[in-house]
Amino acid sequence: MQIKKTHIIPLILILLSGFAVAQQHEQASTNASVTTQTKYEVGSSIVLKFPATKAVAPLLYCSNSYGSTLISGDRKNQELHYKIPNNISKKTGVINWQLLDTKTPISGNIYITPKAEVATMETYIGPPSIEAGGTDYTMLVVIPTDSLDNPVPNNTTVNANFQFLDSEEKETILTNNLIAFKNINSKKESGRMLVSSESLGINSKEFTINVSAAIPTDFSISATRPHDYADGNQITTFSTSIIKDRLNNIVSDGTFVTFIITNAENNILKTTGTTINGVATSKIIHPDFKDQWRISAFVDGMAESNTITLHYKQVIEDFEVSFLNNNRTIRVGPLQSFMKQMIPDGLQVKLKVFKGDTLFKTLTKTSFNGYANFSLKPAIFENETYNFQLETAGKTKVFKSKKLW
Amino acid sequence: MKETSNKYLISALLLGLAFHGSAIFFTLETTYDALIHLFFADHYANSWFEPWNYEWYTGFTVQSYPPLVHQSIGLLSLIGGLKFGMFSVALIAIVLFITGTYRFSLLMTSNKTVAGYATVLAVFSSSFVETLHIFGQLPSIVGVSVLMHALPEIYLWLKTGKKWYLATSLSLIAVTVTSHHVTPIFGMVFFIFPLIGMVLMDVSREQVNTMKEVTFKVFLNSFFKLFKRIVSFGMLSLVLIIGCIFPYWLNSKANPITQVPIPHGSRDNFLEITSSGLVFFLIPWGVLLVVLPYIFYRYYSKRYLFFGLSITICTILGTGGTTPVPLKMLGETAFNILTLDRFTLWASIMSIPLLGEFAYRLVEGDLKTLIQTKFGAIYHRIIGGILAGLFVSMVIFTMSLGYFRPSQPQKIKMLPIVNFLNQDDHDKWRFLTLGFGDQMAWLSAQTNAMTVDGNYHSARRLPELTTRPIERLENSKFKGVAGIGSLQQFLTTPEKYNLKYIFSNDKFYDPILYFCGWQRLRQLENGIMVWERLNIPPVSSILPKEDVAKWLKIHWGIMPFLTVLVAFILNIQMLWVNMLKTRVKPIPDFLKYPVAYTKFNRNVLRITHIWSFILAIIMCYGIYLFYLKNDTQRSPENAIMAYYDALDFKEFEKAHSLIDPESNLPIAQYMLEISVTDGLLSSYAKMDAIETEITTHNDSTVSAKVISQWITPLEKIEKVDYKSLSKHNGKWYLQPDDLNNDLPPDQLYSDNTTKYFNQGRRRITTEQTHHEDILKQPVLEVVSAKLVKYSGSYAIIGEVQNIDNVPADVILKGTLYNDNNKQLATYNAKYHVKHKLMPKESSSFRINFEGIAWSKTQDSIPDTFNPDEFTPVEFEEQPTKFNLQVAGNVSGSDLYKNVVLSAVNFNKGTIHGNLFNSGLQEITIPQLLISYYDANKEMLWVDHLFVKAGVRQQRKQDFEYQILKNGTVKIINSNMENIFVNGLPNDAISSKIVPNRIKKHSDAQLQKIEHPNFSYIKIEINTYIGSPN
Repeated sequence: MQIKKTHIIPLILILLSGFAVAQQHEQASTNASVTTQTKYEVGSSIVLKFPATKAVAPLLYCSNSYGSTLISGDRKNQELHYKIPNNISKKTGVINWQLLDTKTPISGNIYITPKAEVATMETYIGPPSIEAGGTDYTMLVVIPTDSLDNPVPNNTTVNANFQFLDSEEKETILTNNLIAFKNINSKKESGRMLVSSESLGINSKEFTINVSAAIPTDFSISATRPHDYADGNQITTFSTSIIKDRLNNIVSDGTFVTFIITNAENNILKTTGTTINGVATSKIIHPDFKDQWRISAFVDGMAESNTITLHYKQVIEDFEVSFLNNNRTIRVGPLQSFMKQMIPDGLQVKLKVFKGDTLFKTLTKTSFNGYANFSLKPAIFENETYNFQLETAGKTKVFKSKKLW
Repeated sequence: MKETSNKYLISALLLGLAFHGSAIFFTLETTYDALIHLFFADHYANSWFEPWNYEWYTGFTVQSYPPLVHQSIGLLSLIGGLKFGMFSVALIAIVLFITGTYRFSLLMTSNKTVAGYATVLAVFSSSFVETLHIFGQLPSIVGVSVLMHALPEIYLWLKTGKKWYLATSLSLIAVTVTSHHVTPIFGMVFFIFPLIGMVLMDVSREQVNTMKEVTFKVFLNSFFKLFKRIVSFGMLSLVLIIGCIFPYWLNSKANPITQVPIPHGSRDNFLEITSSGLVFFLIPWGVLLVVLPYIFYRYYSKRYLFFGLSITICTILGTGGTTPVPLKMLGETAFNILTLDRFTLWASIMSIPLLGEFAYRLVEGDLKTLIQTKFGAIYHRIIGGILAGLFVSMVIFTMSLGYFRPSQPQKIKMLPIVNFLNQDDHDKWRFLTLGFGDQMAWLSAQTNAMTVDGNYHSARRLPELTTRPIERLENSKFKGVAGIGSLQQFLTTPEKYNLKYIFSNDKFYDPILYFCGWQRLRQLENGIMVWERLNIPPVSSILPKEDVAKWLKIHWGIMPFLTVLVAFILNIQMLWVNMLKTRVKPIPDFLKYPVAYTKFNRNVLRITHIWSFILAIIMCYGIYLFYLKNDTQRSPENAIMAYYDALDFKEFEKAHSLIDPESNLPIAQYMLEISVTDGLLSSYAKMDAIETEITTHNDSTVSAKVISQWITPLEKIEKVDYKSLSKHNGKWYLQPDDLNNDLPPDQLYSDNTTKYFNQGRRRITTEQTHHEDILKQPVLEVVSAKLVKYSGSYAIIGEVQNIDNVPADVILKGTLYNDNNKQLATYNAKYHVKHKLMPKESSSFRINFEGIAWSKTQDSIPDTFNPDEFTPVEFEEQPTKFNLQVAGNVSGSDLYKNVVLSAVNFNKGTIHGNLFNSGLQEITIPQLLISYYDANKEMLWVDHLFVKAGVRQQRKQDFEYQILKNGTVKIINSNMENIFVNGLPNDAISSKIVPNRIKKHSDAQLQKIEHPNFSYIKIEINTYIGSPN
């Protein structure tokens, strides 16, 4: 008996479970979807069909990533037809639906698959200018989309085309999650790279990448001048050799070069230039006294030149000074240049006036027709005894104890 | 009795409309205020019920000014445009004023002929002419005119107690309130109180037989009798004053005026500042000054006694700062807020009835008889002629004032600017105008773009503006240095205000714009230069506003016109009766007290004579002083003064006429010498003060030391010149100065430069710029940066380099933090950096941390302020860390680099040197950036020098620089962790582009100096080209 009992319990259980299965089956048979297809290509017309068991047609709730809507059904041949609206069926992705039958809600989902066609391509590239040398790069991003503006399936082929100098290259990249992208590294040379892309027969527009030279490397400098006299009236021009980067590309136009000049007194003068085709030139006026210049050029922190030395010869060996008009007018001159010609106008003549040993006033004049005249105005220079020091062209003359009246 | 039309009134109306109505088309737009009202009107025309205006001062509420006039213009503008609205309202104001004076005069004099005389004279009264044609104060005119209309009604209410009159008077008071807020408040005191007194006198008079019997007791009795009427009127008008513009009062309470008082000419001492005396005293009084004794005599008669008191107070208050009395009467606060010219205006308006009376008596009354019997008919005619002549010449003078001394810059064509702002989304940023005068309001009215500035200074909100005594940034050069200082803050940190465009009508401001990092965009076809600043974010689409309750908006939008409507309904019937005489009306009460013009008081005539004589003497003396001051060659001081003035105003012909004719300097040569001097001092300086010390040698020669102070947009310059003068034929002349003879080496020379052009958007489309047209931001590298403290102020100094291949515009923004990472201050680099860098060029920089000047203590505003000085931020806590944000943008402008340091000498704390211009452009302002280094060649400080004179092509210019006095620089932090370039970390950028940077590369450029605290210096040069070609 004991054995019988143990047999009966599973039997009952099996029986009961059979009921349960039967119950489920019965429900499905009355209400299940007639349509069994769950994958559609985007843009195709989708109609969900259900057997119509009741007089009232329930609404179909359906939603995708863009939003949700309710659809009322049409009764046709004992079936309910629900047409998914275009604005939902033209987006790829999942559509979740649910039949809003209060008693027995049933639900399901549909996958809208992308079309394997390309209608438009969005392309981006940036930055639009990079540096030669292989380390700097720009990124090409291509987004092919179908006619309904859906991204194409993953692993769709995109062909990227590059033209640089005399090479034309093609590379295949695959889309992944909407986009296909590629980092384009620069080459050794500077120049202009044109980039385009193609996918399934559709071509993008043209993009331009400027590949500019990398940072400059050391260079040499030279100087030209009309003569080597320190007349303060000619121009010395410094030029660099063609400045290039380490891969032999000429640096971009406008590169700023500083020329540093150290003179005999170790004072630092400065002139600057910008390159054109790699050559920077810079001008400076001659000194007006004997001097020796050591010149070197720099691109800050990046490159420098050799040092060259220039000598400027003294032009005025001596000059005359005359005191007129109660010593209130001081005439300096004639100031004569290297061929005994009158020095061109504008040579600075400095008059330092001392009261005893203390500097009282400094007056600066420029020469005119070879002479410079100082007039000591009574408002500043009272009737007293002064010491005068005249400086021009690096020469100094001192006149002690001159009385003004 | 059938009433006849008053032909005087009708002719006054016709004359007034013809004269003022045609003149306003030539004057109103150049007045101080009219365009501001136009801007407000434009606001109402566009958003009637919304009081918040975004266009000025980063937003303000129009509930800060009574709206009636603005709304009327706004409403009329819907028919024929804003200017149509303005001129229509001005015409209405003229009619209101003329009829108002008639009614007021009739009330006062009880004589229609006299009132007619007064009205005709009022049309040409200089105070009205000035208020309308020079000041353009339309609301004020409408307010006072309607108040004058209200006065008879008030009289009748008080006298008769008929409720109808209470209604009409209150309705007119309401209109006054909605058109101008100050008029009814002070009108209460100066017009209505004396009127109440007059009513009481009249009532008292009725109780006794003669005026003499009116004693204080009788007067007091009448007062108690009328007490209820007076109080009811007073209380009700108070309710109206508050109620009709309730949102205004609410706003005044919510946003009290807490700004530094703006100097106003009406508060000046008129004897010292004669121009203020002319505009705020002499013109408004005009001919009234002559009859002042008569006016006071009449107003101090018993009936008008209270008017006498009122006019006395007004007269005294109107004298401004000439005497200390107004300051004591009003107290410090009220004195500094109120413009005192309005008291003079009211006094002159109050005098109009009596001027009419005087004229009547002189022309056909007892005064004529008196003069004719005493002095004869010819004398009478001459006197009449002189008075009439004075009167007419006063009108002509006032009308022409705007012609001879224009208060505004030349009229600017706004259309090109409006078009520019509409183009290319330019109105997505704020703009600023410079040198536009009050025309900036007209520009604002025509565009939707916003400006940081504004023209209604009571509504200013930014502390940068309210702490300065300037009305507008726009004319900051006239506000001395406080103005320039304020402007500099806006120019240095424009991103704070989304300020991207500046329209400059005054080249004075060009240098500061350039050195603050702005660049010229282009010149518009009306000659206005557009400046722009790169790297400014657009104004966000949602802006903060101070909202008010809906009922306040509705109240503000409806109430003004409601008051007009009510006043119209209540008064139209009366107007009808008055104007068209359709029905016989009982004589109003105030006509029952006529004065018999039978015997003119001889004493008054005598006093008037004496007074006129005194006036004539004062006038002659004034003219004599004027002559002495303006006779340019009377004394050496005058000659120097005139010479510098002529130079300041660029009147070179006049300057040349002061040069000694014996020096044989032809004007052609003189002009040539002047024309070749350019630079900060000769092209961008405004003389501030001049002082001369004369040393006489003999009768005909003197030497002078001339110390002149000049304000430039960059700094204040003191210049000392030594001049010699000599006397020929009693006239003093200046000796010409020497000129620099420097002869450039080449006649013709060439130079190659790299130039850049940025297309902007390549496609002609209104879309956003295509992404491929957007250039990469140039990569910059901060080579070194540290936070230092020098003589009490903190600064970030360092060196920045453009490591890209394109030229860059550089903007540096520093922020200071304390140990707890609390932000303490943030500021941009002003002019201690070269804002434009060529590829691979570097620049030293210094960021000062400027506070909002004088925000703490108002009284510490220096009288003379140096634009170069700034108020350092007051730090509550010690800054220990800093963050530096560097932004680069491609810029092709202002890249002139052809300037050479061609000679340099060191001499006891000064550097002397020469700059040589080796390129093809004339350098207008060279700037030296001098960086200081310690013995280890570590940068410590950056200083600057603006060289005062420009450098012409292939010429030298010497400079002198004082090396900083001793003082240690404390390096607080030299950690370069928080430095970002275009938003990316500086380290990453530098290791990518310049991985093997040669450290300390610029050491070779360092110049050794003898100094206890500094060991080396470096000199960099930046240049401003005034007119690139």
